Amino acid sequence: MSNSVLSVRNAVKRYGPVRALDDVSLEIGDGEFLTLLGPSGSGKTTLLTAIAGFTELDSGSLSLRGTDITGQTPDKRNFGMVFQGYALFPNMTVAGNIAFPLKVRKWNSSDINTRVAECLALVQMEKYADRLPSQLSGGQQQRVALARALSFRPSVLLLDEPLSALDKKLRADLQWELKDLHRQLGVTFIYVTHDQDEALSMSDRIVILKDGSIQQIGGPGELYNAPRTPFVADFLGKSNFIEAEVTGGAPGAVQCAAGGESFTVASAAAPATGSRRKLALRPERVRIGAPGAEAFTGQVRQLSYLGERAHVIVTHPGLGEILVSCPTWKAGITPEPGLGVSFGWDSDACVFLEDA
Amino acid sequence: MHNRSFFRIFMQTGAWLILAFLLLPMLVVIPVSLTDKSYISLPQDGLSMQHYTNYFTSAEWLWATGTSLFIGVGVALCATVLGTAFAIGCWFLSDRMSTIARWILITPILVPPVVQSLGFYRFWVQLGLIDTYTGVILAHTLLALPYVSISVFAALANLDRRIPQAARSLGASVWTTVISVVVPAAKPGMMAGAIFAFIVSFDEIVGVLFITVRNVQTLPKMIWQGIQDNIDPTIAAVATVLTVITLVLMAVGALRKS
Ligand SMILES: Nc1ncnc2c1ncn2[C@@H]1O[C@H](COP(=O)(O)OP(=O)(O)O)[C@@H](O)[C@H]1O
Ligand SMILES: [Mg+2]
Repeated sequence: MSNSVLSVRNAVKRYGPVRALDDVSLEIGDGEFLTLLGPSGSGKTTLLTAIAGFTELDSGSLSLRGTDITGQTPDKRNFGMVFQGYALFPNMTVAGNIAFPLKVRKWNSSDINTRVAECLALVQMEKYADRLPSQLSGGQQQRVALARALSFRPSVLLLDEPLSALDKKLRADLQWELKDLHRQLGVTFIYVTHDQDEALSMSDRIVILKDGSIQQIGGPGELYNAPRTPFVADFLGKSNFIEAEVTGGAPGAVQCAAGGESFTVASAAAPATGSRRKLALRPERVRIGAPGAEAFTGQVRQLSYLGERAHVIVTHPGLGEILVSCPTWKAGITPEPGLGVSFGWDSDACVFLEDA
Repeated sequence: MHNRSFFRIFMQTGAWLILAFLLLPMLVVIPVSLTDKSYISLPQDGLSMQHYTNYFTSAEWLWATGTSLFIGVGVALCATVLGTAFAIGCWFLSDRMSTIARWILITPILVPPVVQSLGFYRFWVQLGLIDTYTGVILAHTLLALPYVSISVFAALANLDRRIPQAARSLGASVWTTVISVVVPAAKPGMMAGAIFAFIVSFDEIVGVLFITVRNVQTLPKMIWQGIQDNIDPTIAAVATVLTVITLVLMAVGALRKS
């Protein structure tokens, strides 16, 4: 990356037999919103705290704009951090919390007052300056933690599951606010979450972690549409998996056979003829229609209505169960369990996966 | 059903008897202190405050009281500073070594006072601390340390580890972090510990008997000597005052906790 702020090189961290970080290398761009996404225990917090300086790496290095910071203490790194559970100082007021990093940096008191007021306004908490953290709701505490981490104008902001303790509605609101704040301030955000929707909606780039190693890095669309491994395809949204045999064709139109059916996959890279490969197929890319309308014939096994969409499980004698997600306002069909239907997909809907 | 209520009555009676057994010797000094005779006895022809008057006008008794208060406050300060520093250090490390260190610090509670006092005596002779205020304060500080560190440990058990981390990430040095966020969290434990340390010192006699001669005269030591020399009921008055002070401090400690 041309304008990289922070680089992590070959980071390894073991806790006994557990490899919390297993050779992680990563470049983080200036002003980027980067999300670390993975299931619980995948090493997200470990990577974030290693960047912050709380976790000492067993090996590997960190550098900030080309300067090595591997051995630097957290107070010298000048990164803002929003902790899981907020970690507000219970003995200080909201204003006291926000002023803390400024006092530590020996700002004079009029500058501190101005900046605290600015930061309170930034997170719309002006009215709560004199409250104690224990007198605030979760969402308000979250805002104070954010203001405190931004008050000293850090170049990088680290956030560890900042929204995970909030209810769904509030989480959605704060997602928008965080995105606005990111655009407005131009600060680099490194954001940890285990929530795939949050990652998809907020990030410029997503790093997918599993068991301490990076599975794939890319933009939300790239990861969603071109997952490289079954883990990524499954973790980021839902996916159907098809074991297929490559029977011929060329790049752009690869011929595949699976479950007694044959179909074309529009893949730029053509795997060797005769090889067996796993394909990922997103449920919303599968079309469902009256018998004969689409390429394959199956039977509806189950239907679940989700409001704007419906999920239908269609069984096919060779391909097994295929999950289809279709808009409920479209098409006149009402798939009843047991109903015979046809289904199919465009040639660019399937993606070849690496074995992993 | 019948059996159960019998059992309950039995247990309750037992509990009250034990409580009375514990408290009565302490409470009996109150009537004795109010006796109208000039020797230790229960009041006969009426109550009298003469022994209290005697206590509050005797230079010797007041000096001993002052000494005990001075030593107690000194011990409370020293033990609180050291015990808190120890507890905070262990809290930050929180590994095997610190667990072992915690156990070692508690041993003064387990070792018999006589053995400990003998140790103080032998060691204090070499250091030239016999019969000095410093010597007594030091010895009492060692005895009081476990109480302080235990109560600070208890206070820090609720402190989220991310709070000092947050302070560090915001630019605070280790020292600033300790002062601005860890000590405030430890404060209730420090208060309770200081009160405990004061009481430990204020009531302590075995060590004082071993390591002081004439120069340092504490209140418990003077009561002890008073009982041996004469049978002046002033001792009962002093003991009553001492009990009341201890109870008040305990109550303050308990109230702070709740
Ligand atoms: N201080 C620690 N001691 C021992 N094991 C740890 C410690 N911190 C993390 N781990 C282990 O490292 C792995 C990664 O943990 P973590 O980074 O917290 O994951 P995440 O934040 O993705 O849930 C987990 O298996 C966890 O049990
Ligand atoms: Mg975590």
